[in-house]
Amino acid sequence: MDNVLTKSKDVTLLEVLDRVLDKGVVISGDIVISVADVDLIYLGLRVLLSSVETMERLRGAPIVGPMQEPT
Amino acid sequence: MKIYVYGIIDSNDGIGESTCGLEKANVYNIPYRDIGVVASDLIGPMPDVTEDNILAHEDVVESLMENFTVLPVRFHTVFDAKENILSMMGDYYTDFKDNLNRLRNKVEFGIKVIWPAEKIKEHITSCYWKSGRKEVVSDDSPIKRFIREKFEKYKIDKEFTEKANRLVTTIDIFLGKSAAEKKLEKLKTENLLLDGVYLVEKDKQSNFKEAFEHIRSARTDLRYLFSGPWPPYNFVILPKKSRPLKISEQATMFDKIIQKQNPVGADKT
Amino acid sequence: MIVNRMVETDFPEEFIEEIEKSQDSLPRKIDANPGNVEKGLAKLVLTLIELIRKLLEKQAMRRVEAGSLSEEEIERVGETLMKLENKMKELKEIFGLKNEELNINLGPLGDLI
Repeated sequence: MDNVLTKSKDVTLLEVLDRVLDKGVVISGDIVISVADVDLIYLGLRVLLSSVETMERLRGAPIVGPMQEPT
Repeated sequence: MKIYVYGIIDSNDGIGESTCGLEKANVYNIPYRDIGVVASDLIGPMPDVTEDNILAHEDVVESLMENFTVLPVRFHTVFDAKENILSMMGDYYTDFKDNLNRLRNKVEFGIKVIWPAEKIKEHITSCYWKSGRKEVVSDDSPIKRFIREKFEKYKIDKEFTEKANRLVTTIDIFLGKSAAEKKLEKLKTENLLLDGVYLVEKDKQSNFKEAFEHIRSARTDLRYLFSGPWPPYNFVILPKKSRPLKISEQATMFDKIIQKQNPVGADKT
Repeated sequence: MIVNRMVETDFPEEFIEEIEKSQDSLPRKIDANPGNVEKGLAKLVLTLIELIRKLLEKQAMRRVEAGSLSEEEIERVGETLMKLENKMKELKEIFGLKNEELNINLGPLGDLI
């Protein structure tokens, strides 16, 4: 049921995701491939590989509580 | 067992009974000289990007924000052992110290603004037609008509972008006054006029909020999203420790990716 | 949970839509599946060609605006741009690629196109 409360929670989650997955200190375990000093490809290997699918899952399901067991 | 990291703080003391972290584990401070790394033990598999894990991570960082200056660390930063952490701190100590000093007593706010792109383009288009646009291109051939269409689109897009720039500048004049630093992204999508983050001193928070309310009531044709106070996710500046990959490293890297996409026996440890 | 009180908006749905739209052109995941390698390569090559084509178009428009092209030049440039555009449409169809897929995110520099 997509009520305003659910949507507010969703937008909050998107804001958190943007910061926690993409910003902040990036140290160790990440390979960054750059060309002319511009980071073209971020390979936080495990994060990026899992995050794209999971983010799509998070967006797809109405978020009302703890997630189901991730596959 | 591995160690999951949440942030760097400007203290080498214990952090007491604070929020628990991922796996409901106890969160503690690993001191390094006069600063510290806040972490928890990770017993299970690498954490997936789930709502629970994301929010648990964010909760830890936010609770640190109350008592310390914190440099938030990206989700999923995991080390094999304490020695690795201390070694990393050796590499980054000066950078962390500089950031902690610069970001002390400052918080981040996010402002997003949506404007009615369709309507604005329609308005620009009708102005363009009404203004008796100079016939820069005659229409006596299919090619000339092609060019004329392209040109019209070009002029409209140009005016659209310039209008966006002017509006963002106006908004920023108000918000920027109470901010120490900022990062603005214009027209991330046609409708997302502005995606901005502002770094604001703690004791200027109310001025900033006031400036925002002022804009919100002045321009009711726009839609706003206001978020914060956040820890300074967008304002940590670290020098690039990146480098171009050698061919041999590329092969290993692709192997790792393929393995991850096709886990053998779905082994998750 | 602290985070719940930190995001304020009267229009959550609209913002969700725009935020998600802005994240769509992020092909950060490298698809190393053998079956898809050609498509990935085609994407990369076509993205670069599209970039050049759009730059050429823009430059032509600037010159039209400045009035620095003769009628004949406009005709010639127009014909070339038309052909380029049609060719790109063909190529996109052949590889089954849509406009939105031809983009690369350059981090701090934003999207390539």
